[in-house]
Amino acid sequence: MRIAFVDGGTYYHHATFNDPAFSGIFDVNIHAPDLVRADLSEVDCLYVASRQNPLDLIAARQMIADFLAAGKLVVALGETRPELWLDNVEWRPGETNFWWWLEPDADSGLRVGDETHGLYARLVLADATWHRHGDLVTPSGAISVVNTVDGRSILYDDAVSGPGRRIVSTLDPCYHHGSYFMPAATRFLHGFLPWLKAGAPVRR
Amino acid sequence: MTHNVLHIRAVSHEMPAFLGLLKSRAMASRSLRELSAEDFRERTAILIEAHIDQRAMLAHRAALRAHLDAGGTVVFNGHLVYPIFDELEPFRVAAGRGVKDLIVERVHPHPVFDGVSCDDLSFRRGVAGFYGRGANPAPPDAVVLHRLQRDGSPLDWVWQRPRGGQIFMHGGNSCWMYAADQTSAARIAPQLLDWIEAGAPAVLGKEEE
Repeated sequence: MRIAFVDGGTYYHHATFNDPAFSGIFDVNIHAPDLVRADLSEVDCLYVASRQNPLDLIAARQMIADFLAAGKLVVALGETRPELWLDNVEWRPGETNFWWWLEPDADSGLRVGDETHGLYARLVLADATWHRHGDLVTPSGAISVVNTVDGRSILYDDAVSGPGRRIVSTLDPCYHHGSYFMPAATRFLHGFLPWLKAGAPVRR
Repeated sequence: MTHNVLHIRAVSHEMPAFLGLLKSRAMASRSLRELSAEDFRERTAILIEAHIDQRAMLAHRAALRAHLDAGGTVVFNGHLVYPIFDELEPFRVAAGRGVKDLIVERVHPHPVFDGVSCDDLSFRRGVAGFYGRGANPAPPDAVVLHRLQRDGSPLDWVWQRPRGGQIFMHGGNSCWMYAADQTSAARIAPQLLDWIEAGAPAVLGKEEE
């Protein structure tokens, strides 16, 4: 899998893209404002790192659609507003409780979705557990990898909403990893990125 | 109005409490994507969010330099990882990530931090590490305001630039993020704007002991 890293130019995107632990994962770096003019012909996967200015992605909406039409994979991570630049994404904002884990008998509200999904060969639910930035409706026929207790999703794998494949998540691992702040976010990337690089197999 | 302030918005991770403070003081807040060099002219202070697109800021290096040369103030938040300022070195992460590695201590007083307890910088709801996990290295003649007690990382500092202007540096998440907290850290945002409205007077350069 040849992966293009969409780089919002922030310090945490820089830290993630340049992390020696991820050496060899990303093949191309595209500054988000340049995405609309980028040549993606040699790329299999567009990795939209968490927290971007959605205007940069909205501007590139047609070329992202063309990329999917070529049967390729788009990864849309948290706080990038994919409902504004990908078809059939339904995101519900919610008040983020950054402190849930300080409460006695705390429940993250997250559950394993399809346990046979290939990502679970690389990580466990705790690696996808920090705080929530809203949630998603899983498109009919798509696979929710991480569910919420109330039947929604924070990470799904969608090969049915149109040509190509979309992995959509509310998780913002690059921000936390690149801020040296959240060990779970770092563990998530250590599972997710090698899985992606290996072709993102749907089944474990 | 004696000030002419430009806050550069990052779009991601906006903080309504701080945007409200800027508005109440008639300070301009603009998205980086819509700025031209013209927008940097004749400002008294330019405030930059930790979540800013530093790559895009590189296009404004000359405008920032001209702002400083003319005696302006820059308040920069975040880990500096691109060469936006000629004289400054990139962020260095602190070696330790444990609670004891992340305790903040005051090195020099500054009006922005009047009445702010270091406990409220070291901990938020008992959790350490929000304020700083490393630092943008301070130039030798900068005045360090806070540092990590354990390894001395200079979390924030003010530097009177020899060629003109000053840089108020905070190498962590935006220092105004505490504006809505119920602790003494909430004083930072309004006091920062008070200091700027007062002309951002330089602090003395001797460490207090």
